Amino acid sequence: MTAVREVVDFKAIKIGDALPDLRKTVTVEQIRAYAAASGDRNPIHLDDEFARRAGLPGVIAHGMLTMAFVNQLVTDWLGSRGAVRSLQGRFAGMVLPGDEVRCTGTVLNKDDSRRRITLSLGAANQRGERVFTKGVAEAEV
Amino acid sequence: MTETRFVGRTYETEPFEVTAESIRAYMNAVGDTRVEPDLVAPPTYAMVYGFDAYWQLWSDKEVALDTAHLVHGEQSFTYHRPVRPGDLLKTTGRIAGISARGNMEFVTFDLSAKDAGDQPVSEASALFIIRTP
Repeated sequence: MTAVREVVDFKAIKIGDALPDLRKTVTVEQIRAYAAASGDRNPIHLDDEFARRAGLPGVIAHGMLTMAFVNQLVTDWLGSRGAVRSLQGRFAGMVLPGDEVRCTGTVLNKDDSRRRITLSLGAANQRGERVFTKGVAEAEV
Repeated sequence: MTETRFVGRTYETEPFEVTAESIRAYMNAVGDTRVEPDLVAPPTYAMVYGFDAYWQLWSDKEVALDTAHLVHGEQSFTYHRPVRPGDLLKTTGRIAGISARGNMEFVTFDLSAKDAGDQPVSEASALFIIRTP
């Protein structure tokens, strides 16, 4: 467990600010833990043989695991999980065990009257290939 | 090819009781373990309490989606309020669209979650892509 962090200071946020990157190395164990915690036990995530028969290189991570990393990038920066009002994006590429997913984000817009922040988000693997694109989140701080 | 007559079909989950254990299991699985004063579910936890609606769609033998070749293409969520232990949430999923282009098929699934007082908690939309080999 990491320490409690203060909620981000709304006044100090500027359009164009970059969020600190979040890097995660995906393992077979993590994919299994995600399957158990989420209920999504589709065999393409758990059974190498099945995944290969489906035309994949082997088991792949759930797209929603990548989106959970992007989500964490946002909530770690905000210092609040409850402040997120929307989150969306596109799964642009497969994430395999051993891949390092690097999540990035920038402040796209700031609405002072509604205390809303809009963020642009993405994620890429260790070869720089994009795995999550067109990411957008809105938060009320 | 999935038949377009299934557009509009709905699936409802049983009430899902949100527990601290379930939220923590999810946080540990994804590695999101930062502590806040108040235990609030990560926004993507909506996939956990709504999961049975997705599962019902994927296992509907009439609709018969080719799940071995199905990938998650896009996902969006909107949130009306944070989710906490003790919430009892019911999610309704609806097939909002079925279309095809070449050997690819696109299925849009819209979801809406409400609490025990029938108040809206979150909405979601998933786009699934099926590549016929």
